[in-house]
Amino acid sequence: MKIVVAVKQVPERDAVVRVAADGRGVDESDAAWTMNEPDAYALEEALQLKERAGDGEVVVLCAGPERVQSTLREALAKGADRAVHVVTPESGAGSLGERDTLDVARLLADAVRAEAADLVLTGLQSDDLGAGQTGVVMAELLGVPHATLVLQVELAGAGIKVKRELEDGWMQQVEMPLPALLTVQSGGNRLRYATLMGIKRARQKEMREVEAAAATKRADEVVKVSLPVRVKQTEMLTGSADEIAAKLVERLKFEVKVL
Amino acid sequence: MRLLWWRSMGSAEAGEMAGVLGVLRVGITLAEPMSFSVAEKLLLAALMAASAGVFAWRLGPMARNVWGAKKDTDFSLRPVGKRVWKFVWEVLCQAKVIRQRPLPGLAHAFVFWGFLAFALVSLNHIAVGFGCGFLQYAGGFGTFYVGYAAVWALLVAVSISGLFVRRFVVRPKWLGEKVSMESGVIAGLIFALMATYLAALFVADGSGEALGLWWVHTLVLLAFLPIIPGTKHLHLVLSPLTVFLKRPEFSQLPKLEGDEDFGLVAGKDLTRLIALQAYSCVECGRCTEHCPAANTGKVLNPKEIVLGVRSYLNAEGPGSEVALLDGSVKALSMEAAFACTTCGACEFQCPVGVQHLPVLIGLRRGAVNTGAWEDRFGTKLFLALEKQGNSLGMSTMERDKFIAKQEFPVFDGSQEYCLWLGCMGSYDPKGREIVSDFARVMRALGTGFGVLKKEKCTGDPARRLGNDLLFGELAEQGLKAFEAAGVKKIVTICPHCVRTIATDWLEYGVAPEIEHHSEFMARHAHLLPKQTGANIVYHDPCYLGRYREVYDEPRAVVATAGELVEAERSRERSFCCGAGGGLAFLGEESGERVSHVRAQELMATGAETIGTACPFCNSMFRDALGAVGGETPPQLLDIAQLAARGLAAETAAKQ
Repeated sequence: MKIVVAVKQVPERDAVVRVAADGRGVDESDAAWTMNEPDAYALEEALQLKERAGDGEVVVLCAGPERVQSTLREALAKGADRAVHVVTPESGAGSLGERDTLDVARLLADAVRAEAADLVLTGLQSDDLGAGQTGVVMAELLGVPHATLVLQVELAGAGIKVKRELEDGWMQQVEMPLPALLTVQSGGNRLRYATLMGIKRARQKEMREVEAAAATKRADEVVKVSLPVRVKQTEMLTGSADEIAAKLVERLKFEVKVL
Repeated sequence: MRLLWWRSMGSAEAGEMAGVLGVLRVGITLAEPMSFSVAEKLLLAALMAASAGVFAWRLGPMARNVWGAKKDTDFSLRPVGKRVWKFVWEVLCQAKVIRQRPLPGLAHAFVFWGFLAFALVSLNHIAVGFGCGFLQYAGGFGTFYVGYAAVWALLVAVSISGLFVRRFVVRPKWLGEKVSMESGVIAGLIFALMATYLAALFVADGSGEALGLWWVHTLVLLAFLPIIPGTKHLHLVLSPLTVFLKRPEFSQLPKLEGDEDFGLVAGKDLTRLIALQAYSCVECGRCTEHCPAANTGKVLNPKEIVLGVRSYLNAEGPGSEVALLDGSVKALSMEAAFACTTCGACEFQCPVGVQHLPVLIGLRRGAVNTGAWEDRFGTKLFLALEKQGNSLGMSTMERDKFIAKQEFPVFDGSQEYCLWLGCMGSYDPKGREIVSDFARVMRALGTGFGVLKKEKCTGDPARRLGNDLLFGELAEQGLKAFEAAGVKKIVTICPHCVRTIATDWLEYGVAPEIEHHSEFMARHAHLLPKQTGANIVYHDPCYLGRYREVYDEPRAVVATAGELVEAERSRERSFCCGAGGGLAFLGEESGERVSHVRAQELMATGAETIGTACPFCNSMFRDALGAVGGETPPQLLDIAQLAARGLAAETAAKQ
């Protein structure tokens, strides 16, 4: 079975986010980069599927400038067989920042099509933008069925059986035909750690660079980027214990809406 | 040979000797056979050739296993002076053997020194067989030497009998469940050698008895040689060499070379030094006696690890591709390798130069660098170090908040010291208290310090667990951070950070000078207020004591804060808290908890306060005292907290 895992490189979780000078993006000049967490789980699921099946190929795919190769190498080090890098400029026309979700999904879908994969996995959303769109749009572009919020995948005959996370602790089991695309939720598996042997082997693995298609005009427009304003409000409820309790219940019911 | 009292004088030499001795006039002659026939000489030569032949035949495969093993790429005879000194102290003086186990140690030393004294006697003995004995005819010296050797013979005979009784009657448990029969045979042979020598002092020169004794002595000598290889007595031949050649530093881990070196994966990775050390093991069990894992019911037994490597070499050979861990040798298990706290008591104790840590950590390197080790907690630790850069897996923002709250100045090059917080000092509540108190001490002493804006783990747990990729990345980033900040001197509360930065980082570059806060405070101990009252028992952290040989400095600080008392095991014999080697981050222990055993030992001193000098020890004892501390557990304070307490009291008194 051939599995393509589409991953994204995002700034480290603890990175201090600064708005860029033009006010329409994030200043990435001194950001440290890492693999998007749900994508890391998608990769883990792919590796485990291959290990369980006993054979197959895991191809890791990423679009972005030169720097994303470190994330691709990390994926190769953890066990992916080869990598495809869709090269986009660092900044300006054609860079990721200038493309909308549809355009990025199209870049990735084009690369997947060339691979003729049985299964495409990707994280359910990215840690930086969190739109949660790329995966499903890719499925649409590829014309394959998809499932979102996937925690586990099992091979079932010619197809697969997936476990999806619903709300409030509910799970759903779905059977699907192949080829298919799944967007994977964090936490379904245990991630593996990178090893020295993996890194050394990764150097010998293929990293194919593909030129990205020209950007299409964005369907949306970024008007302004701003940091969320953190507001901290404390209100002391006063009165007798009974009065405080009554006030508290009222607030929880009608303001916070948790009761 | 005769021992003549007063009336009958033997030779002229004996007369001189007697004259020297004055009142106790002793004439002493070693009875030798008159002469040997050609047939006897031929027989002797044949027996000697057979003895040497069997010896070589039995030693051959082992020598080939050592020589055929991988070369130690980092080996260098330098520093020669240090090596010679270790050889003199540990081999010739038998200092370690005696110091760590005085009674059997002394008995062993007598046997060893007796052997040295007997070298000349044995040479003479064989020479006599060929008709060219020399000792008797060497004038006063010869007579003196015969008597001198007799004294040693007595000491050896008594000592070896004592050791025999200890091994086969007393049977200390660390000698193992079975004691090898050969060692009984060897003890018997040694006793026979001494007995025949002494007996020859009481029979007539040239008599039939003299001939009989000579042959018995010769046969014992020639039987002794072939038994040596293949038994623990090989240490007679190998250990002087092993002690001289061992790696000069404590827990010295070799650099991985090339693209196919991941640590000790299979036989092909075992080096000559490891093989030599494995064959030198004398099975005395000192390593196991002091091992915190072996003493609390874990599967790890350091002696069995060394013997396991030997069995592996004998079975698979040094070039083998067969996995070392969880393969044909039962003692070499993944579980055992990862039960080690890297406290180093084994390596410190070993009298024959076996260095356990490079083997145990080498096995872990082999397992982790290839991804063979799967452990939920281990993986969690590695991912936390990969992502958050600290072993506690906390957001680095938490450190920023802590620094801001404590108003620690950021290091800008103007301060004398960079205060390194470490993971515990940055994120652990108790570690933070210790760092804050140490900062108070520095402020009170007027020492300028600053902290780095960002800090990542030194890589200590990754290093000890064998994750070279992660350790290397953290070391490189750490070196860069110090260089960028222009740091010249570092001080920290954590002995693990000190060791890793000062020693382990050397593979990647030279870090600025670093010291432990105990060393800093000991230099200023005279400025710290003198507190009276409480008894304080000080616990030596492994990474400060055995790893850095810092024993007196923390005690000097403790002495300013109260009455210092010592635990049953202290200084270089200190018992681990259970946290080292990354084990603080791995899950539940099997058997008894190491920290509980040590906490109980510290409480047994009756001290009101336990003084620590490592945030990991402190954290382990905090939990242990909660579990086994009883109603009124002793107070648990780092030496920095002890010093800060005095300063606070002084300030309060002034007001």
